[in-house]
Amino acid sequence: MREVAIIGTGITPCKGRWIERTYYGLAQMAVKAAVGDAKISIKDVDAVAYGIYNDIFELSAIPEHPLQGIIGMANKPGMRITSGGATGSYTMMTAYTWVASGLYDIVLALGVEKATDCFDFQSRTSTPEVIKTIGWSGDTFFERELGWTASDSYAEVVLAYMDEHPGDLKDEVSAKIAEILCEQVQNNPYAQRYGEKVTAEMAMNSRYIVYPLKLLETCVYTEGAGAVIFASADKARAICKNAGHPIIWVTGVGAANEASVAGRDERHKIMHRILSDHLAAKAAYKMAGIRDPLKQIQVIELHDAFIKQLQITMAEMGFVPLGHADDLIDKGLMAPGGPILVNPSGGLTYGGHFVGGSNMFSCWSACRELTNRNMERALVHGTGSTVAQYGVVMILERGS
Amino acid sequence: MVPEIESEVLEVRGERYLQSNESMFTFYKRTKGEFSPYFLALKERKVILGAKCPKCKLVRVPPFVLFCPECDFEPIELVEMPDTGVMNSTPPVTYFAHSLFEHQVPFGRGRVLLDGADTALPIHVYTTKGVLTPRIFRRGTRVKVIFRENRVGKPTDIFAVPIAEIPREKQNVRGLQESALDWESPVEPELPTPDVEAKKIYHSTLLQLKKMASLVAQSERAQKDLAGWKRRINVKTSGGCFTLLIDDGKLDVQEGEVKGPDFIMVAKHPAIFSDWMSFRDSLTNAIIAERLWISLNREFTTVFKLDRLPRSIKRTGQ
Repeated sequence: MREVAIIGTGITPCKGRWIERTYYGLAQMAVKAAVGDAKISIKDVDAVAYGIYNDIFELSAIPEHPLQGIIGMANKPGMRITSGGATGSYTMMTAYTWVASGLYDIVLALGVEKATDCFDFQSRTSTPEVIKTIGWSGDTFFERELGWTASDSYAEVVLAYMDEHPGDLKDEVSAKIAEILCEQVQNNPYAQRYGEKVTAEMAMNSRYIVYPLKLLETCVYTEGAGAVIFASADKARAICKNAGHPIIWVTGVGAANEASVAGRDERHKIMHRILSDHLAAKAAYKMAGIRDPLKQIQVIELHDAFIKQLQITMAEMGFVPLGHADDLIDKGLMAPGGPILVNPSGGLTYGGHFVGGSNMFSCWSACRELTNRNMERALVHGTGSTVAQYGVVMILERGS
Repeated sequence: MVPEIESEVLEVRGERYLQSNESMFTFYKRTKGEFSPYFLALKERKVILGAKCPKCKLVRVPPFVLFCPECDFEPIELVEMPDTGVMNSTPPVTYFAHSLFEHQVPFGRGRVLLDGADTALPIHVYTTKGVLTPRIFRRGTRVKVIFRENRVGKPTDIFAVPIAEIPREKQNVRGLQESALDWESPVEPELPTPDVEAKKIYHSTLLQLKKMASLVAQSERAQKDLAGWKRRINVKTSGGCFTLLIDDGKLDVQEGEVKGPDFIMVAKHPAIFSDWMSFRDSLTNAIIAERLWISLNREFTTVFKLDRLPRSIKRTGQ
């Protein structure tokens, strides 16, 4: 496989509702920003992979088809990827693979979602309709009619983890993480909750979405787009030299999808584990030569659908032992001045979650931190589907 | 439901944007295909089927495979399962549901490892002991599957109840239906004898509640929250009892109890209601934390309506 680097990234501002833009416009804005970052023309790009999660959000069964021409990719290959919450990560993995295989030299990964056009006319708000729309993602024969939602399926995993590790995932700790993410989001002017102040006390007292997940510890619904451009080593060196920014190498990629049905052993979902994250990280670490993630990775952009899930994922990825996820705060690991910077973008909880492009948003932030803070290595993570079934991990390293 | 107005103009930073009402839906006559024997057995025979691999002996419930993927796609055999088992993990309980499920709240969606099964059956969980809270079902809680009276061949034809709540003589009855269980006489939580402090808070809370009732009379939004709803609720607290009377948009509060209420609330402390009125806490959160109990699970809908009142009154004043 060939070496692959990221040569440009771009995102739109994250907003709870973009009245002024459709997803066509958002896609154009992100692509314009990414090619601008790389200082290349869209004509230099060989192929595009689209991350759009949910047809119902976009009101179209082939939502990517209008984008091909309007982003300047007419008459070139284009493929849509949809993998639940991990759509963005799997889209970037596809773009990476196309370059690594030698099939194309420069590939664009574009993620976009327009979620809050959905509207519940009864309550006169968007949220219930967004939840309902995502609710069509659950198992349709045995679970959807029981009221499956994304929140209650992640709550299942968190509750099962708490069954297995009583005493871990204390409310005080997840509330403190919420406060840290809200402080960090003030460095991200693109974030949905930029300018907001949320304290640990406010997070502690916020209402339950579904027990034990609280409102201020839950990802927001966002509309927006993100684009990441991948290139082969020789192209990347020339482009980054011209653009005047460091090359960001992709040194590790890993992914795993668990079974969705719960059972007694690993042939089925072990509810108290997020094995998908564990296996994805393990594969990415092996590829990147990482033996001690806590010592070798400085920036983590983690798909925090829920803060208690963030804690479990950090344990699954080897930053803290399983059963000791509270060490993230209790031992100061992700506290200001600690050894790891987790979600400097504010994460999906405070930065924004436009599902098909959220992981591009995370990747954009990781590249920004590696460049601006002169750090060595970052991890970008995506999770998705029922009971955190899908996990994708990408390792990025700052080059010269 | 799409309102008649087809479009509207919104203004953002001086620019005008058009927005239209649209919908996306499809009707189905969807086959249950290879799952038909499972759903027909639920509907017609009150029996739960599993899929057993004759080679590795793994038993999957529900029978979601035709072939065993662990054994080079060996054809499975359908087997009848016991209707008892344990919770695979602590199930989440939904209090805030979207429009398709709001009539069911609160409901628990859990997974039961039936005796002899290797995979867990997704299932609703309910209690006969009043409102459902997150602490009633835990990993390992022993349960029995109960069948609905009206079964149509859907996952909602069945639900699980803690076996400890089922009279001993009925625990081994196969195909037990919901009508065989007593849903109407749960045991109320015990309250401590009122002390001086609790009585004091009770009286001040009662005054606040009466003031709130008068504010409802002035708030169109709050009246809408209670429109078309009639309930007589006896509320018992550690400081004393009162009655909440909801009558089609009106709220009244009276000291003491009424005979034959629609349901009963038991609050560990009267301050739960002052916290509710002053936005410090919601009645729903108090239920989740088991500081507030209601005698009928279905009456959570009433609690949900009451929870809206403080905000509706505040918005009226703005």
